[in-house]
Amino acid sequence: MQKIMIIEDDPAIREELALLLENEGYTPLVITEFTDVPNQAAQGHPDLILLDIGLPGKDGFSLCAAMRKAVSAPVIFVTSRDAGVDEVRALSLGGDDYITKPYSVPVLLARIKAVLRRSSGEPEASDLLDAGGLRLSLTKGSVSADGGTAELTRNELQILACLMTHAGKIVSRADLIDALWDNQIYIDDNTLSVNMTRLRGKLAEIGLPDAIKTRRGMGYQL
Amino acid sequence: MTLREFLSDQLSRIALQLFCVGLAALFLFVTGTQPDVLALLLLALLPVFVTVYAAGFLRQRARLRELEAILNALNRKYLFAECAPPPKGIYERRLFELSRRAGRAMTGAVSDAQASQREYREYVEQWVHEIKAPITAARLICRDLDGETRRKLTAELAQVEAHAERALFYARVGSPEQDCLLRLVKLEKIAAQAIENHRSLLIQSGVRVETQGLDCSVYTDEKWSVFILGQLLQNAARYRGPEPVITLSAKLLGKQTQLVVHDNGIGIPAHELPRVFDRGFTGSNGRNRGGATGMGLYLCKKLASFLDLDLHMVSQEGEGTTVTLTFPAKENLTKL
Repeated sequence: MQKIMIIEDDPAIREELALLLENEGYTPLVITEFTDVPNQAAQGHPDLILLDIGLPGKDGFSLCAAMRKAVSAPVIFVTSRDAGVDEVRALSLGGDDYITKPYSVPVLLARIKAVLRRSSGEPEASDLLDAGGLRLSLTKGSVSADGGTAELTRNELQILACLMTHAGKIVSRADLIDALWDNQIYIDDNTLSVNMTRLRGKLAEIGLPDAIKTRRGMGYQL
Repeated sequence: MTLREFLSDQLSRIALQLFCVGLAALFLFVTGTQPDVLALLLLALLPVFVTVYAAGFLRQRARLRELEAILNALNRKYLFAECAPPPKGIYERRLFELSRRAGRAMTGAVSDAQASQREYREYVEQWVHEIKAPITAARLICRDLDGETRRKLTAELAQVEAHAERALFYARVGSPEQDCLLRLVKLEKIAAQAIENHRSLLIQSGVRVETQGLDCSVYTDEKWSVFILGQLLQNAARYRGPEPVITLSAKLLGKQTQLVVHDNGIGIPAHELPRVFDRGFTGSNGRNRGGATGMGLYLCKKLASFLDLDLHMVSQEGEGTTVTLTFPAKENLTKL
């Protein structure tokens, strides 16, 4: 379980962030006393530190510099100040990333994941997805089943990947659109329908015409 | 100052002198001076008076012209009294002293006003940064809600954020050089960030965004460009037509790069087009739809001019609107 230290003085954000990270399978370490942060950080042995810049007393910049001596964990600066100079300063002080408030939750989680992966030297997340009798290769952009292999377009690939990661659950159209927008595919409802029809056609070609079920009024289910 | 003005200014003195000369002539005539001798005397006096007045006129005119030239050369005119040449004569010295005191009061008032404006700007900036903390907390809390409510609340929060963001940039527009950081930025990154910032509005409006050939880089301030593009995206989503599509594409124009933002929305009436960048201008679309502040495009224009960015808008009512952002070539970046 990877430990993430939250150094944030706003209690509401701190608590919600801890909850969010816990739900995502991390162990949050929360700091509530801002007197001797570097020591607390060293004792906690975090794998990652989320550091707010506007803290009482010492600001995040000087904290980061002080912590660098004792702690080797990567640091993501989280701040509501969005001047470009701050970002440069944060990164030059040894910060690994810089996120401005208010961040969207998926963006924050993606950044955390990316920094953790980089620092631990883990390989990229698995390229293959298996669910519902389908095997999806994200890099090749192809899906295979007993009946053969089909090439997918970028949109179809992301739709199928989203359904496969939530295999068995109902995914609403809105959630699908959200997931696609996360991957820089900015489509609307109609385009989703068109892509869904094409995707089903391709799945039919490889022998699984009913792999994706429509749950009327709720969404899709693999 | 014309001769006529000078003479009318000196009228009472001339009248007094004429009266004295007349009195003297009458006295001489009564006491038995010959009329021709008297005429000779008066004739001799005339050039003396004319010369004195002519010299006075020329001197005053030259002095006034000198002072005027100094005033014209001054950047801050209210500092005139401090920069004027040393006064001549007791009367002028007193006048200068008075004007200097008035100027000093003015300088004080101006610097007070500047200070309070700066304080106000700082407060707005601080306020915007503070409001971001509760927005962030609310976003995190939203996560626990079920789909539809979460989406609606997230969209509302995004609205709050967009308003706060405009306030921040409005405060910054007064002294933009403090926050501007020109770097080589990928258009892709600017586009992705701007879309991400307004995704709730865009998705809710059922907008499809297409991007074409954005894998080129421009020299600009990333945050400002994201803000400008964000305003354009918001407008495109607000004033959309049926089946809205926004297309973002890049074009190379010699050494310059253009970002073209096209939408198939309701468009802007031709007679309103020249005014869309004016402060507070909402137009018929804004009035019919409501909620327009007339600040978005005004701020875009302001920020764009600091970034040396050309903003050009073409629109056809019922067809759509195309905004072209022309980023400067690197060698033309001289200002910052």
